[in-house]
Amino acid sequence: MAAPDLRSELDSLLLQLLRDLEELEAKRAALNARVEEGWLSLSKARYAMGAKSVGPLQYASHMEPQVCVYTSEAQDGLQKFWVMRASAQTPEELGPREAVCLSPALRRRKGLTKTPEPESSPAPRDPLNWFGILVPHSLRHAQASFREGLQLAADMASLQIRIDWGRSQLRGLREKLKHLEPESA
Amino acid sequence: MLEGAELYFNVDHGYLEGLVRGCKASLLTQQDYINLVQCETLEDVKIHLQTTDYGNFLANQTNPLTVSKIDTEMRKKLCREFEYFRNHSLEPLSTFFTYMTCSYMIDNVILLMNGALQKKSVKEILVKCHPLGRFTEMEAVNIAETPSDLFNAVLVETPLAPFFQDCMSENTLNELNIELLRNKLYKSYLEAFYKFCKNHGDVTAEIMCPILEFEADRRAFIITLNSFGTELSKDDRETLYPTCGKLYPEGLRLLAQAEDFDQMRRVADHYGVYKPLFEAVGDGNGGKTLEDVFYEREVQMNVLAFNRQFHYGVFYAYTKLKEQEMRNIVWIAECISQRHRTKINSYIPIL
Repeated sequence: MAAPDLRSELDSLLLQLLRDLEELEAKRAALNARVEEGWLSLSKARYAMGAKSVGPLQYASHMEPQVCVYTSEAQDGLQKFWVMRASAQTPEELGPREAVCLSPALRRRKGLTKTPEPESSPAPRDPLNWFGILVPHSLRHAQASFREGLQLAADMASLQIRIDWGRSQLRGLREKLKHLEPESA
Repeated sequence: MLEGAELYFNVDHGYLEGLVRGCKASLLTQQDYINLVQCETLEDVKIHLQTTDYGNFLANQTNPLTVSKIDTEMRKKLCREFEYFRNHSLEPLSTFFTYMTCSYMIDNVILLMNGALQKKSVKEILVKCHPLGRFTEMEAVNIAETPSDLFNAVLVETPLAPFFQDCMSENTLNELNIELLRNKLYKSYLEAFYKFCKNHGDVTAEIMCPILEFEADRRAFIITLNSFGTELSKDDRETLYPTCGKLYPEGLRLLAQAEDFDQMRRVADHYGVYKPLFEAVGDGNGGKTLEDVFYEREVQMNVLAFNRQFHYGVFYAYTKLKEQEMRNIVWIAECISQRHRTKINSYIPIL
């Protein structure tokens, strides 16, 4: 294990880590912007529809998630997060991926309502319909913003795992380098 | 009705007209709004509102102050004023007030039925109902399964009973049917209110009829706009349009066929009143929405109602202006609490 090889590996690892950090910052800014936009659109919807028509009265306290988070193992042993519609793929089709649905508490905004009908509805209901059929466009914008935010959140979680792994790799390589060349620490 | 309301209006209604004009003078001014916009937190908003006619209305609220609490307390204050007017009124002003409360009753009924769908407890929803639309049979609304049930069992004794003509059906109340029920009830109510004002004649009809015509047309436009991309069919949509506006009958027929915003705009271009409104609508996220433009026009018409004397329209106009003021304050408070101040000046100044 020659020192120059180690050094070049260290360099490339460091560069990759910085690239990941930059991407994470960009995604974080985008997520903040989407969430802010979503909340403002909700306020606009309240302005148009009435302050009590868009609020906790409109959704049930228990709901089933429409969107689930799945994890998968890549070749280098890192976990990656995927955000998928709950009905889109059954667990058998997923193959190497395991389906891990986060608890419904985290998915409050995108839930199914429990309806009084005895038969289970095959297609999940759009949460937009909790507020009525004729909803203003600001409410649709809010839903779109929050949906984009979901995807960004999953990407950010995967990036965070890659960054943590990158940092531990970096530490390990530095230790090795120290042992090989004690005077260049 | 004989002409010359100025001869005998004050006998029955002069005290209340004087009172409502006094209340109108205490609406927030432009300077008040400028002060509110500069607040950093909701506590600052509460302090600024203490210097206005609202006074200490938030004094009994526990921490933390939320926008929802501010809205509830403002509504209670409006309700107290309205109840005072109503309790001191004589016919036919009392019937006029009853008509005004019907729109809030319809909203409360729909809120209760939606709550029943979501399996919420009745008490939870009763707290959030609009105080102006309170009626004794409210708690029983959630037991109804179909509109006919709702009518026969619950609402037959309320002022909403005459508006159920077109709404009787045996369909179970799901989200689509509740929406249809809401709009059909509102359509019947608006047409009945319009007829009442028209039959009353005199200055009241001169002031109220254009306002109600605008309300009918506004509903037609907004229903059309919101129905793009939903499961509501064009025929169903046409049955929801109130027919007491300027758009009836040709405009409504054209509007029922519209499939996007531009086609709607072309329908509005046929009418001199609505063409400039649609031209003021900005596109995309930047400018004003159609709802904003309609609210501005409503404020204009309601302020003008105070230029004439001896009519009931001042009470309607005052209530609507107060509601716009509440919407403004809630918007400013939401922008402050979300720390998103770019659009904080999108309120509509009244005085």
